[in-house]
Amino acid sequence: MMKTRISTEWLSGCSGCHVAVVDLHEKLLNLLDDVEFVRIPVLMDEKGYPEAEVGLVEGAVRSEHDRKALIRMRETCKTLIAFGTCAVYGGPSGIGWLYEKDSILNKIYKETPTAADDGKFPEGAPELEQSVTPLNEVVDIDFFIPGCPPHPYYIALAVNTLLGASKLPISMKTVCSACNRRMEKREGVKFQRGMSTAPEEDICFLSQGVICLGSVTLDRCQAQCPNKGIACAGCAGPSMDIITEPHLDIRTMIAKRMSMLTGIDRSEIQEYIEKEAKTFYSYAISSPIIYKKPTVEIREWAGN
Amino acid sequence: MIKILIDEDACVGCELCVDECPTDVFEFNEEKKIPEVVKEKECFGCLSCSEICPADAITHEDIIHSEDYYHDEENIRLASKLAVDVPLPNTPSDSAHKAAALEDLGIRLLSMASIFRQTLGGSLPAVGTMAGRTLATQLPRYRVPQSMQEALDIAVQQFTPAWDLEPEYDGGSKLSIKVKNCFVRELCGEEGIELGGDLCILFYNYLAGYTGKLGNARLKLLESCPGPKECKYEVEVFIRK
Repeated sequence: MMKTRISTEWLSGCSGCHVAVVDLHEKLLNLLDDVEFVRIPVLMDEKGYPEAEVGLVEGAVRSEHDRKALIRMRETCKTLIAFGTCAVYGGPSGIGWLYEKDSILNKIYKETPTAADDGKFPEGAPELEQSVTPLNEVVDIDFFIPGCPPHPYYIALAVNTLLGASKLPISMKTVCSACNRRMEKREGVKFQRGMSTAPEEDICFLSQGVICLGSVTLDRCQAQCPNKGIACAGCAGPSMDIITEPHLDIRTMIAKRMSMLTGIDRSEIQEYIEKEAKTFYSYAISSPIIYKKPTVEIREWAGN
Repeated sequence: MIKILIDEDACVGCELCVDECPTDVFEFNEEKKIPEVVKEKECFGCLSCSEICPADAITHEDIIHSEDYYHDEENIRLASKLAVDVPLPNTPSDSAHKAAALEDLGIRLLSMASIFRQTLGGSLPAVGTMAGRTLATQLPRYRVPQSMQEALDIAVQQFTPAWDLEPEYDGGSKLSIKVKNCFVRELCGEEGIELGGDLCILFYNYLAGYTGKLGNARLKLLESCPGPKECKYEVEVFIRK
């Protein structure tokens, strides 16, 4: 039997998604019976773009090189998968969407005290693009696997399904659906900016006055953070509701739920999220899903 | 009849659906710490419970979706590629549906304009301008226009597909706007309604108010030429300092 060829590419990202492939551990060995990696930058040295059945692309398009590499991947792969939150929504590097290219370069190479005295830009590096672009704005993408990085369970699921295994149901619910904490109504809860006290176990963060993005985030992690005592940062990108309904937004839904649970003033929560928009919107800031929403004005909230 | 399903594993027991439901369909079971559907007959499918549910644990079956025109098709496409078999909002796909909806909307607009004329009389243009200016302040401003030309580009984008606008602007004070396709004009032709009526006045002032607010200018109508194929407005532009 001929093995299915998989080719991967790494654009503007952190390589975490590639490391998540290695996190399949022993399952990776089972997988290698059926597939052959023809290009995987973190494990092997392959400069060209060999033909492949499946292509996994990590990272967003930030530079001219990224764009060219992505187009080459589309040409050589039959099925192209946007792999990880950066590829699907722009991810944390999407913060570049907030600023102009020149102001970023000047800040780094001229205005910072530790910058070289001549203030020259480095030569030979690929030209930076004006903004950060999720992959599906550049080429056609067949499937999306968000997650920062995607949980190995979902990687195995996706690859096995593409190899022809029977399709398993995939959760379209939010992080809360996998979270073991109990959401309960409370009175006299103080709104916490950041986390200033140790959180109670088994009780939802929103009930304790701490902002947790679990209820507006797609479950691609099996709620690992909230179950271990860390509020959800929204790394798998917005939930299905937020994606499909233009009138729903991260800040309004969190503020509504939290104020219904604790009685904290809704506008107080909303203003705090707007003020810290770079944190709470960080994973999908450069995605049209978020910035095209009628009431979202992250550039204004960030002060430019 | 609408059937409501609650995923008990996903439910986090927050009681928000009990609070949110306008017809008190749910009751909270204190022992099991999950809500129960007690008056399913009362549900009229507003979906506010599934909207507030933090865990997306509530789904409805046999629900009649109204045709929606506000969903972004790009986003729906992305959502469908996150998993292959997701129930998605029903976006109207065929053009016959769209045409029927536009005709319905056109009739409503025509009667609205005549009601405005009856109640407001001479202030009809002012109402149109006000409405246009209000729209300009409430739309997404991820692209803040820097010039009148950019404001016109945004207006053209905003008014498609119902209206096909073709503005010609010389960069100074002379502007002419051609309205090529107009779904109300087609309706007027079929129904034998004279062009240049109340709705046309309202529409022009709406457009002028909108582009004026976006481009920071005042628009003065010099001449309007309604026609069966295309309408044309000659406008003088005064940029605000």
